[in-house]
Amino acid sequence: MSADMFHLGWFGSFIPTTWTTGWDGTDAARWMDGKFYVDKVRTLERACFDFILFEDSSMVSDVYGGSSEATLKRGGWAPKGDPVALAPILARATERIGISVTMSTSFYPPWMLARSVATLDHMSRGRIGWNIVTSSEDLAAKNFGMDALPPHDERYARADEFVDLVTQLWDSWDADALVMDRERGVYVDHTKVRPIDFVGKYYKSRGPLNTLRPPQGRPVLTQAGGSPAGRQFASRYADMVMALPKGVPAMKEYRDDIRMRVAAEGRDPDRTKVMFVVSPILGETHQHALDRKAAKDEAVRQHPEGQLIGWSGSMEIDFSRFDLDKPLPDDVQTNGHQSTLANFRKWANGRTLREACVAYRTESMELIGTPDEVAAQMDEAMQEVGGDGFLIWNQPHNRRYIGEIADGLVPALQKRGLMRTGYGHEHFRDNLLEF
Amino acid sequence: MTTAVDPRFHLAWFKSFTPHDWRGPWAGPEDREWMNGDSHVDFLQALERARFDFLMLEDSLMVSDTYAGTAEASLAQGGYAPKGDPALLASMLLSETTRIGVIATMSSTFVPPWLLARTSATIDHLSGGRFGWNCVTSSENRAAQNFGMDALPPHDERYERAAEYVDLVKQLWDSWEDGALVMDEETNTYVDHTKVRPIHFEGRWHRSRGPLNLMRPPQGHPVICQAGGSPAGKAFAAANADVLLALPKGLADMKRYRDDIRELAVEAGRDPDDIKVMFIVSPILADTDEEARELQALMNANAEAKIKAQMVNWSATMEIDFSRFDLDEPLPDDASTNGHQSTLSTFRKFAAGRTLREAFTAYRTESIEVVGSPATAADVLQEAMEFVGGDGFLIMGGTTNRRYVHEITDGLVPELQRRGLVRTEYAGAHLRDHLREF
Repeated sequence: MSADMFHLGWFGSFIPTTWTTGWDGTDAARWMDGKFYVDKVRTLERACFDFILFEDSSMVSDVYGGSSEATLKRGGWAPKGDPVALAPILARATERIGISVTMSTSFYPPWMLARSVATLDHMSRGRIGWNIVTSSEDLAAKNFGMDALPPHDERYARADEFVDLVTQLWDSWDADALVMDRERGVYVDHTKVRPIDFVGKYYKSRGPLNTLRPPQGRPVLTQAGGSPAGRQFASRYADMVMALPKGVPAMKEYRDDIRMRVAAEGRDPDRTKVMFVVSPILGETHQHALDRKAAKDEAVRQHPEGQLIGWSGSMEIDFSRFDLDKPLPDDVQTNGHQSTLANFRKWANGRTLREACVAYRTESMELIGTPDEVAAQMDEAMQEVGGDGFLIWNQPHNRRYIGEIADGLVPALQKRGLMRTGYGHEHFRDNLLEF
Repeated sequence: MTTAVDPRFHLAWFKSFTPHDWRGPWAGPEDREWMNGDSHVDFLQALERARFDFLMLEDSLMVSDTYAGTAEASLAQGGYAPKGDPALLASMLLSETTRIGVIATMSSTFVPPWLLARTSATIDHLSGGRFGWNCVTSSENRAAQNFGMDALPPHDERYERAAEYVDLVKQLWDSWEDGALVMDEETNTYVDHTKVRPIHFEGRWHRSRGPLNLMRPPQGHPVICQAGGSPAGKAFAAANADVLLALPKGLADMKRYRDDIRELAVEAGRDPDDIKVMFIVSPILADTDEEARELQALMNANAEAKIKAQMVNWSATMEIDFSRFDLDEPLPDDASTNGHQSTLSTFRKFAAGRTLREAFTAYRTESIEVVGSPATAADVLQEAMEFVGGDGFLIMGGTTNRRYVHEITDGLVPELQRRGLVRTEYAGAHLRDHLREF
């Protein structure tokens, strides 16, 4: 007895590759030419991944130590390229794999976003996803001329209206508007293209869009929502929810909750896939994998700044001020990220900051072992949770690790019948909904 | 400098991310999936083979319904919409070529500056320094209404905003010094933070803290292109542009226009050789001059269709409903526009009191007429450049198909190359290198 077939995606950013691990090649100096990413997405397509997803951010964080020194030194939040501009190149280099790019509802004009995503969907012949974020850093807002972001729940209210508007823009052209009647000299039938005259609380747009309806009709919508507002938003729109609950019971609870919310919205819960972030640590033997994990942990114990910089940026709290060998002081406050901070405290549960850095994982569950062992662990988890798959978060970000997943773990999953060996469809959404 | 003796001039092509010719006798098989980019990749590779400086991708952000108050004519004709996002096409096209540049239009009125700075920096990196931004202020209220505004700011204010916008975008590109990426293993330093600085830009219309979150583009500043005919547009271009698209009619006006721009550039403290003025032409080529003239006559034979096509296009860009006018009268004196002012005044001057029917029949979107065999066409271009002084031509094919593209790249260009008038090989790596090569 094993789980049903599940989905695999890859979660990363358009950022430098590793450059100090000993397995770095030459990509860290050249990643902005895009060639590493072309190779990566081709590798993932060969391994039959459903999609690659690019997160994004719009700032150089200088919270840690009150300076951008630490973040830039490590290449933490920046440099980072625009994933939207990379997507056409990746689309052209591949045939079947989906490509989801992050674009912020707080910073993009909706009409522009609708057109860019529609264009990408055409360029990829129906393989584009928009990863919807509302952004969470005031520093990014300042780059866009605002003093701060709107409060959390208002951001979701805005995002709700934004997605409604963008969807209406995609729908402003019927699928058969392009007639190409050479004899009558009619390229597009104007009766199939309509203004939308959208007037919302936050946005206005007359429409229509000026481009053909995307091949998928509505490009795939992906989202990461942990808060109640985020989950509610995801249940209304998302085809795929990226999730980070900790441990199998929490994973199951999260997925059940999303499915219940989706159903309450009148949608078919099977049409929203919940995928859990993991970073498998693989080895030739079980002991090799354990050794690797121990070595990773020790490296973090010696140099916890990498993790602290990440938290500083996302919670906008300067973690450089605290004693590493004590827990986070009780009186620490944050402006905009109360729930993140509260969750952090609950999770840290009295650990010193150093040990918190070692223990912290951007993953729902720990996966360690040989490819076959990890495949078995994923199998078990999916049997328990019910679906729908995993998002591999690249750690470390280099060709060696991508190869371990694509050529080690994936064949082990395929052998167990847990993962596809070919694509059934041309469009991203169709492949996502195939099982 | 060699510019005084080097007889060479620059070639580029003007197009939108729109379908190629779909109706003519050489349209090829029906291509409903032109938005996948395939045909544009072939197109750009042909231009690179012919050693063009760049392809410039125009843009607009609306479906026009000005002509007769409906989108019917505009959509039936195609050309104005559907249209894809040119920056994304540029990224794809550049990845399939190695030397030629691509310039994409982005509007300073609608795109947030930080986003534009980052997208263009990214594409400049991806292409190894071959990207350019065609800075437009947009000219249609219909576009403004898609972006939540009721109407565009007035013409001259748009240029004031644009000047501030360009200043901000350049500061964002400059917020990372060259060499910020150090990759020093001893100190475990990827980027030297002392070479990355916030800009704290506080303008009248735009604000941005900065820095950008990306290394300085390979060209420092991606090439800036502009098409400015009005006084405000020309002043803006002289201060900011590397390359200008221009449509004055006839050799005398072409020369006057270029001289003006060069003078304004000097006033703005720039070397006038750093701004290239490219004049729009739409050559009609054939085996013999006689055959080319026949082709031209054939194009003008269906005058009604030609007039309507032109009126539909201008109704869109100028937001003047040309369907209201009597074709047998001249353009009314009170017809005016908040966009494309110089196009309208050039047309008025060109029409010189003729009826709209006569004027539209004779009018073509070109600075000079180029009709004939490749040798004759080369003569015309050569003489024009000798008279005007530079800097090159922007081919605007009207409706492009593979046959027309190859007439230019494999007929006209080799003739120009034999005469030493255009390059036979690229010398530099970046788009700006091509522009400044001669």
